[in-house]
Amino acid sequence: MNLFRSEEHAKRWSGYDAAMGAALKPVAEWADIFSNPFFRQRGRPDYISWTRTEEGGAAFKELRSHLPRPAEADL
Amino acid sequence: MTELELLDRGYSAIMAEVVDGARAPHFTELAADLDIELDTARELVHELVGMTPGWVHPGTDLLASFPPFNMQPTQYHITIDGQGGWYAQCGLEATAIRWLVPGKTVRIEAPCLCCGESMVLEMCDEDIVSVDPEPMVGYTSAEIGGAADSRPFR
Repeated sequence: MNLFRSEEHAKRWSGYDAAMGAALKPVAEWADIFSNPFFRQRGRPDYISWTRTEEGGAAFKELRSHLPRPAEADL
Repeated sequence: MTELELLDRGYSAIMAEVVDGARAPHFTELAADLDIELDTARELVHELVGMTPGWVHPGTDLLASFPPFNMQPTQYHITIDGQGGWYAQCGLEATAIRWLVPGKTVRIEAPCLCCGESMVLEMCDEDIVSVDPEPMVGYTSAEIGGAADSRPFR
């Protein structure tokens, strides 16, 4: 899970896998994904409990829906 | 299985120490902080890293990663309001550090793995303050939150 200077740089990286091409996104898009409440709520004193609430579950479901998977990749 | 209230206290105590001082407590320190037995604290650390998901150094009880931070240095150098000393678990988690330090500017500085040239990303709360170079991208070759034994290597 790395940052690169550009899309071309990422594709030239030795660890690049075209099967996960869907995971190549502008940093602003990743920053948006990592703005999910699952990340925003980490500072609360009851964070682990919160992840198990309805609100926490909904946040996790929403997060999962935005995470790229190999099946969605550009093969 | 640790009770939920203790998981909350353990998570919060570890995160607070990492945010304040850029280091994670040893389980013996956590035991003193939470007023619990040493074995309970040791088990608590392992249980929490499985949930977060972070990891301990293999074969030890030493916290190596507690997202969004990494205790073991990575290429993602973090500066918070001008003060350095932190490392991000990965480039993507680095973008989530701002939620733990509201109102402060988080600077992420890292070399590109392709060419070694520097990249800098600055964020504060909802805002991306600066991106250099502008076309910066994020990429992962594995599913986020995937198998525990691969976490340090993707």
